[in-house]
Amino acid sequence: MELTDADLIARVLANDDQHAFGELVRRHQSSVRGLLRQLTRTDVSLADDLAQEAFIRAYKNIRSFRGEARFSTWLYRIAYNCFRENARKRKELVGVDEEQLQAEHDPQTVDPGLRHDLMHALNLLPLHERTAVVLCCQNGLSHDEAARVLDIPLGTVKTNVLRGREKLKRTLAAWGPN
Amino acid sequence: MIDDETLDRQLRDAAPYIDDDGFTARVIANLPVAQRESRWLRAMILLGLAILGSGIAYVLSGGFIRDGVIQLSNFPIWLLLVFAFGCGLVVGAFAVIFAIRKTPEVRDLTRLEF
Repeated sequence: MELTDADLIARVLANDDQHAFGELVRRHQSSVRGLLRQLTRTDVSLADDLAQEAFIRAYKNIRSFRGEARFSTWLYRIAYNCFRENARKRKELVGVDEEQLQAEHDPQTVDPGLRHDLMHALNLLPLHERTAVVLCCQNGLSHDEAARVLDIPLGTVKTNVLRGREKLKRTLAAWGPN
Repeated sequence: MIDDETLDRQLRDAAPYIDDDGFTARVIANLPVAQRESRWLRAMILLGLAILGSGIAYVLSGGFIRDGVIQLSNFPIWLLLVFAFGCGLVVGAFAVIFAIRKTPEVRDLTRLEF
């Protein structure tokens, strides 16, 4: 029988069992790295460095995980904080020039196919909308969970998801049913 | 225009599973050394300091503590037993509260807010 996240966490807490923590990393690495790749606009190297830092931070602070939220939600929060701290250091947080970034993305160079257009459109969203859309629509978090991860009001999450969705739909209008 | 459901499905499909490719091994290699020994060391230091502090208090108190113990021996045995039992209950209650706070599964089970 496969152990649950709670079982593995209990083993880490009881015996500092690094093998159990390794299993937790194996289970959640894809979603955490995927989230960070979206946040860093597909900078794979930076995203993986941040994901590694996030998991190490999670291990050090696992005693503060109270089981009130899903373990993955707790991990996303740590990962998002790692990203924010890094972005602050690089002076990229929110203050990033979105118009300049959009200009860098030449629509003519985008490969054909909905997936490519979708990822391209996602990358064009402002950081706060992209983060909310990735957490809620791509990773299946509820608005409430996303609000906890991002440490912002629930209403703001809903607004960001709604706006992000509308922009994506407008960008991808050509793919819809005629 | 694409509807919400289709958009969400496309977003999920557009995020494929990322192969581990040695990532977990790198994380494990960079984890801090298990802190089990240091916790034991800390416990021993605390215990040693408590014993040392008690010894110093006994020496510095002159005959006060010894006289107190002698006076206690004059009390009826049932009173001493009640006193010891009461102390045990108080300490035990604090220990249970502390244990529940430190154990999320039990805390969730009892639905207690501390």
